[in-house]
Amino acid sequence: MNTALSPAAPAQSPALRAFAAQWQSRPADALWPVREKALQRFLKLGLPTTHDETWRYTNLRSLAAQSFVDAPRKSRSDIDPEQPLSLLGRTEPSVSLLVVNGHPVMPAAGSLPDGIEICSLRELAGLDPDTLRRFLEPLSDADQQRWALLNTALFLDGLYLKITGTVSVPLLILHVAAGDGADDISYPRIVIDAAPGSSATIFEHHVAQGEHTPLNNSNTHIALGRGARLEHYRVYSTGAGATHLDSLVVRQDQDSHCKQFTIALGGGLVRASLEVRLDKPGASLDSYSLLVGHGDRHVDCVNIVTHGAPNTRSTQTARAIAGDVSRVIFNSKVIVDAGAVNAQSQQSCRGLLMSPTAEIDTRPQLEIHADEVKCAHGATIGRLDPDMLFYMLSRGLDRDTAQSLLVYAFLADVLTGMSVASARASIENALIAQLPDSQTLQKFR
Amino acid sequence: MLKITDLSARVAGKDILKGVNLEVGAGEVHAIMGPNGSGKSTLAQVLAGREDYEITGGTVTFDGQDLLAMRAEERARAGFFLGFQYPVEIPGVNNVYLLKAALNAKRRAAGEPEVDAYEFLALIRQKMKIMQMSEAFLTRGVNEGFSGGEKKRNEVLQMLVLEPKLAVLDETDSGLDIDALKVVSAGVNTLRDPKRAVVLVTHYQRLLDYIAPDRVHVLSGGRILKSGDASLAQELERRGYDWVSESQVA
Ligand SMILES: Nc1ncnc2c1ncn2[C@@H]1O[C@H](COP(=O)(O)OP(=O)(O)O)[C@@H](O)[C@H]1O
Ligand SMILES: [Mg+2]
Repeated sequence: MNTALSPAAPAQSPALRAFAAQWQSRPADALWPVREKALQRFLKLGLPTTHDETWRYTNLRSLAAQSFVDAPRKSRSDIDPEQPLSLLGRTEPSVSLLVVNGHPVMPAAGSLPDGIEICSLRELAGLDPDTLRRFLEPLSDADQQRWALLNTALFLDGLYLKITGTVSVPLLILHVAAGDGADDISYPRIVIDAAPGSSATIFEHHVAQGEHTPLNNSNTHIALGRGARLEHYRVYSTGAGATHLDSLVVRQDQDSHCKQFTIALGGGLVRASLEVRLDKPGASLDSYSLLVGHGDRHVDCVNIVTHGAPNTRSTQTARAIAGDVSRVIFNSKVIVDAGAVNAQSQQSCRGLLMSPTAEIDTRPQLEIHADEVKCAHGATIGRLDPDMLFYMLSRGLDRDTAQSLLVYAFLADVLTGMSVASARASIENALIAQLPDSQTLQKFR
Repeated sequence: MLKITDLSARVAGKDILKGVNLEVGAGEVHAIMGPNGSGKSTLAQVLAGREDYEITGGTVTFDGQDLLAMRAEERARAGFFLGFQYPVEIPGVNNVYLLKAALNAKRRAAGEPEVDAYEFLALIRQKMKIMQMSEAFLTRGVNEGFSGGEKKRNEVLQMLVLEPKLAVLDETDSGLDIDALKVVSAGVNTLRDPKRAVVLVTHYQRLLDYIAPDRVHVLSGGRILKSGDASLAQELERRGYDWVSESQVA
């Protein structure tokens, strides 16, 4: 049991009081000081309001009144196997790991492919707290990462993945959110520690089961060693009632390469942050975001990429679609530190409005403190091109089919970046299912 | 086949077509010529069902149906085809998929089964041979990165696959070198039969050397000012459009 909080940080709203109460129930292990610091900082910052720069578009006020409790720990048998959960086709050789409400279901020994070792965070905290501690420190801009702070303080368990070599099959982490009540919250946490020269493809797929989907405050921390290569996907496929506050942090060593996909297909409110540090020469990042809003969904994506060393390279490609009364936000920022000469960065965001009541907000930003850099950014938001639409109608296509084809084409830049064919196919399937006239569209593939 | 009576249309508050009358019978080829800005493309787009144009008067019947009451896609399925003056590029939408979808839409509307993949590929290969197009076009996006001439060939290819009853080809000859012109003309000529009709919108007599028209019309200022047989095209080539406008005023 932890000691009570100092009175300097009075918990005001029911939500903050609940977080403080959860803290009381956390084990006092070796990581306690780091975690307490994170909690103190979170409580001091409080819940974000729309006055906070990076929360301008996302109002979380309604959360303040909730008295959150930990979502239940569940086992494999509590999960409905009938529901198609896998993102990867059955034919694709892959390994999947199940995480329910943040609690990993550990696989049988020997079931993992070469080049990867895993351990639960609870176990790691006991065995090797120093290793884990390295992944708990927040990156530069902790105010942005306040949900990461809360996760750091309150996560109960999670997965530590050590990539030691070349992992030949994709690894799927299936996050299932399955709550028992309306005030459930979960703190899934994943650490991916890629050794120098290793390579892997890892999916994190977020799905929900049952009536109550816990508030999902998830966090993933990736560290790429020298020359390591990682293709990482995070895919949100939860239902319309789900709230997802997800933080992803990537720290890259020399000549490492990360290809990152953030794909929002579901969820009622999704806030996805990505913070990348290219700290050593030659590190490179290609990030792709595919953000789909319909109904009254709210998708808010924030990327911050810091070039902290010479000859680093980053691209950010975002495609946002918003229909009905949905709102999609994509804000990206590239910071080039002093000394990061020859840094190259590119930010491209395109938004497609499918209804007059939908909204897309995007703002690429650049903050350059070095000379001799090549940084480009562009953002466009528009509607379907009437000339293209008319051309297809004039060939006899249904309006729905024509529109869907154009939407699909609009997303191509992101989809073609995906290396795993079956994942691409199922992501396309999921996308297409959300478009009008999905049946005809299926035949196009 | 097509009967246009007193057709008027405006766009962006500007009257463009001011009472067009034109009748095209089955088996006929008509040419519409006229100076730039006279309304030729507007006429073609209005016939195809583009909604930006407001019809302010007149009627059009196509194959006995009220064309203006039909939506663009219905017109296409009923056998109307427009070859665009400026075919749009649609990156990411595969050229062949579009064609297949178009053909199937038409077949469905006619109560016919959809074309099977193998049959379709054979069909398209045969038509591509006529148009002297390389297999590379199969995999590309619609008109994506095509040269001007390639786009025009692609329009005619689509026409050959869809086998429309009435094709309106808007300056399909513009920007073609002589070899391409021959190919495009040959393509159009394969479609000539007693049950179909073609309307060629063109600036140049030279296309008409390869596709002999039954009638030639001069559209100017939103009206058909003069109609005649093939010799009218030659006369226009010699004397220019001013001659028509002047002789009309006189
Ligand atoms: N969408 C439009 N908006 C405004 N003006 C248009 C539009 N389309 C055509 N026009 C005008 O209508 C006139 C006729 O154009 P068009 O039909 O393209 O002529 P043509 O094909 O005979 O060269 C021109 O003055 C043109 O500027
Ligand atoms: Mg024209």
